[in-house]
Amino acid sequence: MSSEIAFPSPQHRRHGSSAGQPLTRRDGVLKVTGRATYAADNHPEGMLYAVTAVSSIARGRVTALDVEAAKAHPGVVEVLTPANRPPLSHDPDDKIPPFGFRVEVLQDDTVRYVNQPIALVIAETLEAATEGAALLNPQYEVESARTGLENGERFDTPAVGVGAPSRTAYGDIDAGLAAAVRVTEADYVTPPQYHNAMEPHAVVAQWDGDRVTLDMPNQALALSCAAYAAYFGIPAGNVLIRSPFLGGGFGSKAILNGPQILAILAARMLDRPVKLALTRAQMYGPVGHRGQTWQKLRLGTDGEGRLTALHHHVLAATSSFDEFMEPAANASLPLYASPAILAEHDGLRLDTGTPGPMRAPGEASGSAVLEVAMDEAAIACGMDPLEFRLANYAETEPGTGKPFSSKSLRECYAEGAKRFGWSGRPLEPRRMRDENGFLVGWGMGTAVFHCPHFPAEARATLRADGTALVETAGADMGQGAWTALAQIAAEALGLDPDQVELHSGISSLPDGGIAGGSGHTASAGLALHNAGVDAIARLAELATADPASPLFGAGNIGVEARSGRLHRRDDEGRSESYSEILARAGQAEVVGTAKAARDPAVAEAHALFSHGAVFAEVKVDPDLGQVRVTRLVGAFAAGRIINPRLVRSQYFGGMIWGISFALQEEAVTDRRTGRIMNADLAEYHVPVNADVPSLDAILIPEDDPYVNPLGVKGVGEIGITGTVGAIANAVWHATGVRVRHFPIRLEDLLVNQRDVTSAFGN
Amino acid sequence: MTKTRNEIRFLLNGEDVALSQVAPDETLLDYLRLRRSLRGSKEGCAEGDCGACTVLVGRLTDGKLVYESVNACIRFVGSLDGCHVVTIEHLRGEAGKLHPVQQAMVDFHGSQCGFCTPGFVMSLYGLWMKEPKPADAAIEKALQGNLCRCTGYEAIMRAARAISSYGKVAKDPLAVERAAVTEKLTVLRDGSRVEIGAEKHRLIVPADVDDFASILESEQKPTIVAGSTDVGLWVTKHMRDISPVVFIGHLDGLRTISEKDGLVSIGAGVTYTEAFETLSKRIPALGPLIDRIGGEQVRNMGTIGGNIANGSPIGDTPPPFIALGATLTLRKGKARRTIPLEEFFIAYGKQDRQPGEFVEAVHVPVPAKDSYFAAYKITKRRDEDITAALGAFLLTLARDGTVASIRIAYGGMAATPKRARAVEAALTGKPWTEAAVEAAMTKYAEDFTPLTDMRATAEYRMLAARNLLMRFFAESQGGKAPIQVSRHRVA
Repeated sequence: MSSEIAFPSPQHRRHGSSAGQPLTRRDGVLKVTGRATYAADNHPEGMLYAVTAVSSIARGRVTALDVEAAKAHPGVVEVLTPANRPPLSHDPDDKIPPFGFRVEVLQDDTVRYVNQPIALVIAETLEAATEGAALLNPQYEVESARTGLENGERFDTPAVGVGAPSRTAYGDIDAGLAAAVRVTEADYVTPPQYHNAMEPHAVVAQWDGDRVTLDMPNQALALSCAAYAAYFGIPAGNVLIRSPFLGGGFGSKAILNGPQILAILAARMLDRPVKLALTRAQMYGPVGHRGQTWQKLRLGTDGEGRLTALHHHVLAATSSFDEFMEPAANASLPLYASPAILAEHDGLRLDTGTPGPMRAPGEASGSAVLEVAMDEAAIACGMDPLEFRLANYAETEPGTGKPFSSKSLRECYAEGAKRFGWSGRPLEPRRMRDENGFLVGWGMGTAVFHCPHFPAEARATLRADGTALVETAGADMGQGAWTALAQIAAEALGLDPDQVELHSGISSLPDGGIAGGSGHTASAGLALHNAGVDAIARLAELATADPASPLFGAGNIGVEARSGRLHRRDDEGRSESYSEILARAGQAEVVGTAKAARDPAVAEAHALFSHGAVFAEVKVDPDLGQVRVTRLVGAFAAGRIINPRLVRSQYFGGMIWGISFALQEEAVTDRRTGRIMNADLAEYHVPVNADVPSLDAILIPEDDPYVNPLGVKGVGEIGITGTVGAIANAVWHATGVRVRHFPIRLEDLLVNQRDVTSAFGN
Repeated sequence: MTKTRNEIRFLLNGEDVALSQVAPDETLLDYLRLRRSLRGSKEGCAEGDCGACTVLVGRLTDGKLVYESVNACIRFVGSLDGCHVVTIEHLRGEAGKLHPVQQAMVDFHGSQCGFCTPGFVMSLYGLWMKEPKPADAAIEKALQGNLCRCTGYEAIMRAARAISSYGKVAKDPLAVERAAVTEKLTVLRDGSRVEIGAEKHRLIVPADVDDFASILESEQKPTIVAGSTDVGLWVTKHMRDISPVVFIGHLDGLRTISEKDGLVSIGAGVTYTEAFETLSKRIPALGPLIDRIGGEQVRNMGTIGGNIANGSPIGDTPPPFIALGATLTLRKGKARRTIPLEEFFIAYGKQDRQPGEFVEAVHVPVPAKDSYFAAYKITKRRDEDITAALGAFLLTLARDGTVASIRIAYGGMAATPKRARAVEAALTGKPWTEAAVEAAMTKYAEDFTPLTDMRATAEYRMLAARNLLMRFFAESQGGKAPIQVSRHRVA
């Protein structure tokens, strides 16, 4: 029997709780020794290598492939093309809900983006497969590529992101603008960005009859099993995904992609294990990216600097054949009080791979622009940017009026500003220089992120030796889930984390939900917590019903689990160890199970968000336009913190992603060919160590009695929000130049500004 | 007569390896992962950008065993003859414990997703053996070539500072076994030429420089590989056929640095790292510039000679060397000729190098005491970035304050590294004043018509190039304007 057990309340923390402790990560030893096994490190006997041949054009048709030349190459075993690709049981053009995407698996000869798979070569060696793919020498019928925001096809869309409404209106936006003393209005552009997890996407597929084992990095094990099962016409239980380690995901490993499906198909066709690992360049196409956006902000303010209207209109790019539009305008919904808010999106079709969720999808690009617009409005009102945000502080969720389950944003502002030394900042730009003559600027932004909760299941087994095994099919892509989840389980079980063995990262375990949306710790954590509570309850039943136990008859009074013993609540002295209870009961173990989900009533009644404030200092070389972020201070309130060490590193990671969003990351597309010219790590810039300045992340304490029974919110993505705008605003403060496109480039601050023209007319 | 053998011999961790089957373009990373099942080293980019594949390669320099971090993904197996390759699998601490580097990384939370971690560990290992208690600047330098997309750099910095509290370098296995390994490597270097393969799959490791010279005269279109930081990408990124390959990184005759009569002569096989000490001491402005070429692994592999010989318009050493008045010695067989460095660069992709000829050495004059030299590299990212524009200036003033001579050279402004002759002419003989500099700044259009690319626009390049001259002027007046904003600080 599985049970859903409500945790009393976060205030009821047990003595000596391991949760809240800054434990080092459990998987550290395996990682520093090189013994952590990533997907591409698996080499089953008899394995073949698969390499995708990819298109070099963005739009058109493949008219010829020299399959004979490829097949004639020594070692090449098979070449899959649209002509001979075995059938799939599910139409690849038909998306599998809830997070399914259309996949490119050689269903026809159409080319829709550069780096689309156009054939799969399978060979005895990696070298032969690579050479075979090169020998295919594709011929194309080329159509002109639609690249760049101004060249795409616009369309109306009912939904953005994953099923979010594309238009949300609160109040009368026109009336709000009409009532404004001043309206601040501008257009902004954000570029296509690529996840670029350090580990390229890889799979090793092995079939045994109608069962398949997949070694692959995966952020959503149960959903992926169901989707693979659909494609291959087998029960979901016949798909085993092993994903013990992910070399980063950031959203790109939550979604199925064509190359991996083709490799699995090849393994079935050839009845041998097949490995496929994408090259870095091949990751710029079929495995998702953050779509580019064109955004317009109109902020009406009254004489006191209070918003009368907030209009956020986004043109969000997607591919020609599927839809994932950055829900960027929705970043303007939960944050600032305004009698009228309108968030709306249009779609734009380009000849690219389909975008997907990338760390803070929508929130990152929407917040980047909103926070710059807020800065511009503050300046227009002659107000300090922080003062302006406080003047527009939302006490309840704007639009809906719902109370926040908890909101400690004021404390974030105050603590962040204090640590940064914000007071005394001159309002005017170009007023600060350092000892070397560099222009210095300070800027700030507000961080906000929603708190999703995914249904999850877990199992907790108390063993005769007094230790426990806890299990859930979660994913640790670097955030430290293995550690934090074990801490949560240990707390529920009244054990030290060292006594708790966590099994995770394999789909045969109870469904751990999705490692995404910053919701994994809360989702899988609550399931583990509940399973632990269930196991303890079963153990307590054994003890309290046993006349030989010192706990006999304590049923109504209750017992408490602590340090591997059950104690009578009313009599500390009466206790018994788990081992003793199990031994006398003649049981090797007691198993607790649980399912956990959010109470829909709680979600309906509250607005659920993490909050934060980010303060940035930049220095700009006035002669060369080089920008360096020199200080970043973030203060974040995200409910209860399970492991401050891990959480701090998540905040840092998000903030550093904010640096690269503001100053570095951009896939540059050749307008003529649609090719990405920097599809590598040399010229697609991600931050190096030296780009990372003095960082400070302040953990603002916050008790949230509603968000979930653990009181845990998410921390993985919020750091990027707020930071991008803070940096852009600091650049303005340093230079007086307002750059309205990201990333801010060298020439923007030296030569002249590339004006962003309006996407929407005026 | 040169002895010839048909196998590459090296040490891999604790094992002697002799390979008679080696493709000329086989990378060390493929060898480790595919042939040896040593999969702790990861492939993140296959072009030397991310450092996830970092291993140490030990080799004898003047009889001394030196271990350096390298990118296994662009290092060819054929270049390893006589070397000791050390991978993450070889690390061990005392009495079965973790190695100090590893324990520090665990304790300071230095790994997140972990994919980059083996590379970071190896880079830190290489540093720790050289500098057990490094300053932050040294740590930063050692980590320039390692990317972490989880961006856990701060924790890694903390770990790096703490390593020596976990153990002593003297007890490290590589230190303990140093004498034995040195002896083994000495034996492996038997003075033979190595030749492996036939037809389109040939590699040659010359016995010495004379042997190299004779090989070049007899081979049709060989690919000369010194550090492979460029040619490695021809293979991994562009799948180019590079056979026959002649590896020269090991040739002692090309690895010499000498100083004579104010001239620093650098053999074509000298790496950036090896050249750093002499160049940064004799010409201090070159130190910070060399520090920002690639990452540590690339500097440990890449050679000054290769940076010149490949003729790239954005190579970082030609502009300062041209400004300094460097000359280049080319050799064909036994014949040598020496030309001004700028004359070597004829056009994009075209250099003054005849078939059978090779770059033997570059000779860099040390600026006179009364002259002023500076070089500036402009990049968007702080480290590990390809140059948008690079300017180098050498000024000598006459007693009356006029410009006796000025040499100005840029990279990233033309199809080759190029001198700003019109600007030089406008300044020469004039008073070294702001007004004169401003007047000369109008001459840039005569010298350069830069391109727009994703690193910078033409307009930016032109303006930044001019501004560099003004900055150089300001600095020559005692103005303080370093190009780099202050670096990493930890709260």
